[in-house]
Amino acid sequence: MTNRTTALKALTAAGALVVLAACGSSGGSGGTTSGGSTSGGSTSAGTPVHGGKLTFAAVQDAQSMNKSTVFDNNSIWIFEQIFQQLYTVSADGKSVVPQLATGYKVSSDKKTYTFTLRPGVKFSNGQPMTSKDVKFSIDQTTKASQGWGFINTAIKSTSAPSPDTFVVHLKYPWAPLLADLSIFANGIIPDNYAGKSETAFYNAPIGTGPFKWDVWHKGQSLTLVKNPLYWQKGLPYLDSITWTDVSSDNTRQQQLQGGQAQIDQFPAWSTVTQLQNTQGVNMHLFNSTQTNYLAFNETRKPFQDVHVRRAISLALNRDALVKAVLFGHGKPANSLFPPQVPYYDPNTPGYQFNLAEAKKEMAQSSVPHGFSTSIVIPTGNSDYQTISTIVQSELKPLGINVKINQLDPNTENTQTQNLNYDMTLTLWTMDISDPDELATFAVDPKSGAKSFFTMYNNPAVVNAAHAAERTLDTEKRQQLYNTLQTGAAKDAFMAFLYYSPYPYATTTNVHGFFVTPLGNMHMENVWLSK
Amino acid sequence: MSFVGRRLLQLIPVAVGCTIVVFFLIHLIPGDPARTILGIHATPQRIALLHKQWGLDRSLAAQYWLFLDRLLHFNLGTSLIYGTGTSTLIWQRLPVTLWLIVYATVLAVVISVPLAMIAATRQNAMRDQAVRAVPLIGLGMPPFWVAFLLIYFFGIKLHWFPVGGYGQGFFGHLRSMFLPALVVAIALSPVVIRSLRASMLNVLGADFITTAKSKGVGGPRLFWRHVLRNAVIPAVTVLSINIGFLIGGTVVVEQVFALPGVGQLMLNSIFQRDFPVVQGVTLAFAILVVLVNLLADMAYAALDPRVSFDR
Repeated sequence: MTNRTTALKALTAAGALVVLAACGSSGGSGGTTSGGSTSGGSTSAGTPVHGGKLTFAAVQDAQSMNKSTVFDNNSIWIFEQIFQQLYTVSADGKSVVPQLATGYKVSSDKKTYTFTLRPGVKFSNGQPMTSKDVKFSIDQTTKASQGWGFINTAIKSTSAPSPDTFVVHLKYPWAPLLADLSIFANGIIPDNYAGKSETAFYNAPIGTGPFKWDVWHKGQSLTLVKNPLYWQKGLPYLDSITWTDVSSDNTRQQQLQGGQAQIDQFPAWSTVTQLQNTQGVNMHLFNSTQTNYLAFNETRKPFQDVHVRRAISLALNRDALVKAVLFGHGKPANSLFPPQVPYYDPNTPGYQFNLAEAKKEMAQSSVPHGFSTSIVIPTGNSDYQTISTIVQSELKPLGINVKINQLDPNTENTQTQNLNYDMTLTLWTMDISDPDELATFAVDPKSGAKSFFTMYNNPAVVNAAHAAERTLDTEKRQQLYNTLQTGAAKDAFMAFLYYSPYPYATTTNVHGFFVTPLGNMHMENVWLSK
Repeated sequence: MSFVGRRLLQLIPVAVGCTIVVFFLIHLIPGDPARTILGIHATPQRIALLHKQWGLDRSLAAQYWLFLDRLLHFNLGTSLIYGTGTSTLIWQRLPVTLWLIVYATVLAVVISVPLAMIAATRQNAMRDQAVRAVPLIGLGMPPFWVAFLLIYFFGIKLHWFPVGGYGQGFFGHLRSMFLPALVVAIALSPVVIRSLRASMLNVLGADFITTAKSKGVGGPRLFWRHVLRNAVIPAVTVLSINIGFLIGGTVVVEQVFALPGVGQLMLNSIFQRDFPVVQGVTLAFAILVVLVNLLADMAYAALDPRVSFDR
């Protein structure tokens, strides 16, 4: 055989192999759609329709379905459709409502809670839910010290005296208990992972929720299908939901307009007004608990000086920030806490824009003529770029020269958490409907987060945070949290920037879609009209 | 040993060399996969626990040894972020990227060959000027802009193609991948057209073409058997070099069209510091680039009887 013939044959074979490899792809799909008419039309909700497949274009893929160790929102908002908790967050985000429990009794010393479980609840694999499953689920999370174990820190032990009763023994009276039990990390799974290993279980998780596991093509799409054994009669309406990984804002929007997706998660702020005026699209701005802050590292001069921090906070025009970053869809923040959280104090004197006052504070400070400093932000975040540019220009009148350092997100995270920064931008959204998690995270230098990585330390404020955990008296808690919020505001340990909503765009045939201020969605209430 | 066999053996030092460089680079830059998972909830204790779980608390040399050991057993390790096998992740993404590259190459050839012919057969005429100038727009325009324009017209307005996604089944892929492949082809074509045109002009002026014409050979037979076959070799070089860049360079197109390709996997795993996946994908890239170059060499031998690789 000549060289040429060999070469030709080899080439053809190679070509064929490439074509075969490409054809033999793992059959994944970009999600199926139906009912997505974008030509405006039907407006009245009418009676819910059963059936239909919904495509949810998400900002990024989930990481894992392991409810005890995962911190990533995209994972959480998906597995919340599979796992349910004893209680769940109310629609206004300020309290909890019964879900897998129907009620509870608490002992007189407030340290023992006895929960009655809802009868007739089954897991999607057919087995009935009992207290044994509840005990296993909550204990697993308590043991997850690299994950959400800290949320169950007040629990001494749990017991399952009868199949429909579950008991929690606390170390001390603990006001946030119900809120802690309603977090996704305390979702109920079958005892002993239904006989599988932990890894195998979470690759095809089983829960009591309205949807059950179908398939996950990592980086592409994740599909859940209707759970026919779901305990709420008549729900869910949808046959399936497919979350697709579409990182580009523009592509998500185009998919919505092209009918390929029915829900567009987090459209860019610059497109919100346009989407509000687009036929066939509903632009939702759900109340959220998201608060954005400018944090100061108090281990670095001159940020240990309260006058400097106050001056900076007073020099920032929050209306300008809301306009530039959120295109008007938000409002200035006055407190560490957002308005959607219980015990938020609307009278908190968080500093607002006042350049004259800012200059007065600088005059009283240790650096009256200004100083040079820096702000570190992660790359790829255009909102943060805009904020830091505005901060840079608004601090110039005080003689403060700010250099903007952009680092890759992982590196930026490492530096800020190792207190290797001057100023940085940060944000918080509530995980529970109780201020406790945020309070201890933000103001206690001894907590793992070192006061939101600022090392802020005001003993009166720290004591208020801890005292509020141990009393169940709501009036007392309000007073304590008022003390905390006012103290934190006056100390200006962070500049509270703005509150913003959760933006979601949906096609008009999507009904019942609602996001709580904590970000949870009850997709069992969603239906598609024809 | 045969030529192909020898070249395939070359894969080994290239691949190992790449993995060493990437391994140490990715471990030495700041950042940590534990922080990807924990985010704002990272504490030194939680980070230490995860490191222990993943074996990241051992020395770099020990970790590299473990990686090599696994590799010899054809095991690329487990993704720290996803928990699934790295090879599974790569196998799922590879077809998407291969579809994109092959489809784009085919489209680039389909665009370039006729245009180069049109230009070369009337050198310096209006049509030659047009063919030389217009494709440069494709070279200059940012791919994501071209992508959005195409999606807007063909996806949203005309509904001929879906907006992003990989599609299902062979014909689904053919339809879903057309626009992304076209975007890449538009960027590839200008260089291929120019190279092909230049070599065609060269060939058209050659003695053997005059001889063929005097023998009565004309039209398509002249074009395919004599002109194109001789002119295409430099273009193959240009194309193969560009394809080498494409393997991984398709990230932007993958992002815009929401394609779960290897480029995206690489980018995301770097940001997330998912070490096993970064190493695994680097290995895959190294192998692919060597294979593409091998294919190019085999193409020369197939096209040009003067090229012999039997030594």
